[in-house]
Amino acid sequence: MGKFQKGLLLMDKAALAKFFKSVQNQFDIFLPYEIDKDDPDNLMLKKFRNEEKFVINKYRTIDPLKSLFYLSSESVLPSTTKNKQRIIAGVKNCDLLSLGVHDAALLEDDFVDPNFKKWRENTYIISGDCDEALSTCHCNILGHNAYPDTKGEEMQKYDINLSPVDDEYLISIGSEKGEELLQLIKQNCEITEAEKYHVEEVERQHKEIEEKLMQINAEFSPERDVSVVSKVKDAKVWEELCEECVQCGGCTNICPSCYCIIVNDESINDDFKRIRTWDSCQLSGYARVAGGESPRDRLWERFRNRYQCKFDFIKQNFSQYGCKGCGRCISVCPAEIDLREVIKALQEV
Amino acid sequence: MSHPNPYDVQKAEILNVIEESPQIKTFQLKLEKPLEFKTGQFVELSVPGIGEAPFTPSSSHYESEEIEVSIMKTGSVTEKIHEAKKGDIFGIRGPYGKGYPLDKFKGKDVLLLGGGVGLAPLRCLLQTLIHDIDDYRSITVCFGAKTPQDMIYKDQIKEWKNYDRIHQLCTVDECKPQDDWKGRTGVVTVLLDDIKIDPAEAVAVVCGPPIMMKFGTFSLIDKGLKEENIYLSMEKKMYCGFGECRHCVMGGYYACKDGPVFTYDKIKDVEKIWE
Repeated sequence: MGKFQKGLLLMDKAALAKFFKSVQNQFDIFLPYEIDKDDPDNLMLKKFRNEEKFVINKYRTIDPLKSLFYLSSESVLPSTTKNKQRIIAGVKNCDLLSLGVHDAALLEDDFVDPNFKKWRENTYIISGDCDEALSTCHCNILGHNAYPDTKGEEMQKYDINLSPVDDEYLISIGSEKGEELLQLIKQNCEITEAEKYHVEEVERQHKEIEEKLMQINAEFSPERDVSVVSKVKDAKVWEELCEECVQCGGCTNICPSCYCIIVNDESINDDFKRIRTWDSCQLSGYARVAGGESPRDRLWERFRNRYQCKFDFIKQNFSQYGCKGCGRCISVCPAEIDLREVIKALQEV
Repeated sequence: MSHPNPYDVQKAEILNVIEESPQIKTFQLKLEKPLEFKTGQFVELSVPGIGEAPFTPSSSHYESEEIEVSIMKTGSVTEKIHEAKKGDIFGIRGPYGKGYPLDKFKGKDVLLLGGGVGLAPLRCLLQTLIHDIDDYRSITVCFGAKTPQDMIYKDQIKEWKNYDRIHQLCTVDECKPQDDWKGRTGVVTVLLDDIKIDPAEAVAVVCGPPIMMKFGTFSLIDKGLKEENIYLSMEKKMYCGFGECRHCVMGGYYACKDGPVFTYDKIKDVEKIWE
């Protein structure tokens, strides 16, 4: 057993909305909600305003978690992060793992991003197990689960995790902040001891979602060798793979672990702000220097760079892959390019 | 624990502007507080409200309160920088990257091969080397420019002639009969034919346009220099300078954090280093 209580406590599902209502003045609360869209991929993070039909489990949202920790555009000088405490709930494991990439890059490396640090410190994360999957979900083939690791000893990225069992949630605490949050929940809701049935039921559900993901990704080997992204250098192969790419940069913007930025100064009267804004390595000007040279002038080179970054460069920098299998880049792509298919094609070269 | 904001700058007042060539100006800057740097490292210089760009100081690293930066007009930020006058204020932050490992240069023949504005970091290095000149077996300086008018640091080049231990060779790609040019003509690698160094024991530092770096490196290897003794300044797109923006990533390396100076053996297998 780890330091914190895992899967020993229970709370009523309906009590969660009651809790959020009671603390909404103290916290900005963000939750996944279904939006009106004729597609199962229809969850979006929205601010809680007494609307009880939020979704804690199911699967990932359309928008990546980074949009609340590493904003698409924000002033870093002066740093404009809000001081108000936040709760983000219904976070899925792919987003938690991606947050781990950002922690490694933006907090634990040799500099600290001022805004990211403050957003991290001000935020309590309530994660939820996935109990359904989209056709683009593929965390399993990257060796991850559709639910946070509540068994490991190490410090977790979630503060509290909720596994659904019938009308209740099985609660796991992942951090000191999770303990704090639990005390707050206890003030508003009844927490009871879990029984063997609840624990077994969660384990059964975990197996069920694992099997579902295996079915979805049956044609993609879990033991796939991703080093092909750097080994395959043939322009013809890559040109064919990116033939349909329209260079919109959607794949990198929606990726929960991509964090490339541009930094610009904006003047305001006699003063100025330094703004960092998401950038995309898929855009032609990305690596071009003032003299005009660019190491990746051609589309296929930029297309390949994204795969190399995810499966080679980030691995060299932070000992983990930059892709956690959320599948958002597949869903967003207007050209219907599927990352899984690209890697499969490279393996077959 | 409180961390400094890595994007924060200090003020740098322009003490003087020297027109080195039609495209290159050297700015003498007085800093609010000393900026200790090692030769080879770079800084981010900004025009408040306009933007920033990375530059390597061109003055000795033994001077940290007043530094000089030579800047070529090539883009929107450098265009604004070139409009600045004595008394104007720049923002400055840094230093970033790794410096030249001077310990590894000691007792050796040191060759500086530079072209165009690539002479700027080499002047910083040379002035630092001159400070401890007896530590080095010899210093050979091979500088190139497009035309005699484009050759920068003309006054210093004259001064450096006074050091016995410094051998100095200059070339221009082209010159007109009316130009008062006494050096060689041709690309900078032609100078390598005339140098007297022990290739097996020499270190070479190369900085200039990518094409010059490429052929300079190949010529040095042909002469017998070891790959691990060839130091290359990698010019890549950079915004942050410390590893956040990722624009300068070269394979598993960051040009900003792991460079901007790399030995050739380290990066020869990285794709597209010359572009």
